[in-house]
Amino acid sequence: MKPFHIDVNSSQLSKSGNNVCGDVVLSRKVKDEQRTIITVSDGLGSGIKANVLATLTASMAMNFTVEKQPIERSAKTIMSTLPIDSRRQISYATFTIVDIDNGGETQIIEFDNPAFILFRKGKLLDIPKKDLSISLNDGSERKMLFSQFTLEMDDRIVMVSDGVTQSGIGTTQMPFGFGCDSLNRFLSEQIKEDNEISAHELSRKVIRKANENDIYKPQDDITCAVIHFRSPRRLLICSGPPYNESRDKQLAQMAKSFNGKKIICGGTTSLIISRELNVGIEVGMTLDNSGLPPKSKMKGFDLVTEGILTIGKVAEILEKLHGTEVYGSGPAVEIVKYMMESDEILLLVGTKINIAHQDPTLPVELEIRRNVMHKIANLLEDKFLKDVEIQFI
Amino acid sequence: MEKKVEVLVCYGTLCHLMGGSDLQLLGELLPLDLQGKVDLKGAPCLNFCNEVDNGKPPFAVVNGRKIEQATVKKLIQEIRVELEKK
Repeated sequence: MKPFHIDVNSSQLSKSGNNVCGDVVLSRKVKDEQRTIITVSDGLGSGIKANVLATLTASMAMNFTVEKQPIERSAKTIMSTLPIDSRRQISYATFTIVDIDNGGETQIIEFDNPAFILFRKGKLLDIPKKDLSISLNDGSERKMLFSQFTLEMDDRIVMVSDGVTQSGIGTTQMPFGFGCDSLNRFLSEQIKEDNEISAHELSRKVIRKANENDIYKPQDDITCAVIHFRSPRRLLICSGPPYNESRDKQLAQMAKSFNGKKIICGGTTSLIISRELNVGIEVGMTLDNSGLPPKSKMKGFDLVTEGILTIGKVAEILEKLHGTEVYGSGPAVEIVKYMMESDEILLLVGTKINIAHQDPTLPVELEIRRNVMHKIANLLEDKFLKDVEIQFI
Repeated sequence: MEKKVEVLVCYGTLCHLMGGSDLQLLGELLPLDLQGKVDLKGAPCLNFCNEVDNGKPPFAVVNGRKIEQATVKKLIQEIRVELEKK
């Protein structure tokens, strides 16, 4: 598992009267090379037309960067590919490309977007930028900015579209708009207030502020993307007794020494860990409407639940879930909430089969734990982009 | 003070499926005269289901005695038996 995690999130608001946002943020993890690439683009104008321009620009920028094309060539191609606006007679979209590699080595190329903002230890950090000018086929010149630096733990990169820096323009409070300085001050305040603030939450706060500046009628498309370079939040889920009893001790030790949040799913599993580590289990008597057996408490663990029924429900919730907000109550919902709050999830699965569960007279069919855990692992990886490791014991 | 009757209800998967989920309500369904005389607890799994000889789930334990195919009615009966012993 990696020593750090790159948390990328963005929020957007469309210009008042438009259903579609003319700014586009794309992010992609290149798994084989362990790179993370984020592109932000603001299309000319607003609405569908701007969205098409921005989508074109952001996806071209993304794909060229993944393929490691030289930036001059990518920029030239992008600018000569964009369609010419019929009214304004120019083709135009801004972009910012961020390319972060495994060790935090970062390259940023900016073209006409508000400058990115880098926060280190709650303070603004100035990065020297190099001018890159390219000449287009029509003879005109365009200037881009290139910067290179190494990210450190807990650094944040904030990128906004001009809809944020120019929000509130023309109002009596801020006749010249919000501006970069006020935005920097606003960001420092937010980070000072909550040093752990997630990328999602910070980007939400910025667009909320911009919306407020525009008196709740956005005058332009508003976008904020935040990259947070932080230590990964780790989660362990133990489920099922080991295939061989001689490995009970190993299971308990792995659970004990794990650094992060810990969940046990399974009555027998919790008894094994309780016996090996000599900690008591307190079974809860609280009833909820989930139809699942109640959760228990055990010192050193964040959650202890029943096994196969609960994880079956977890798989079901994950399958139906859109976004990352989970509603409802019960042990399965709690597990999903823990999953959504984590970056790296280790599933420690005991493969012993409870013969009694195979009784054909049971009112419901109980699935084999190993299969359900595989399904959960796939969902977490493909749908929710979590780093999942599955270990059988 | 009078000693309470200890009731341990199994919350394992099998017992839960076979009707044990109703037993969670025992605390609320106790007749008035029994209220305050029962100490109700849950267990992650009592491990009775592994042996066929133990009978059928759901299982519960009343003052150390194993009860198979437990229902709320059956448990109330057993609690009365325990109280009469004294």
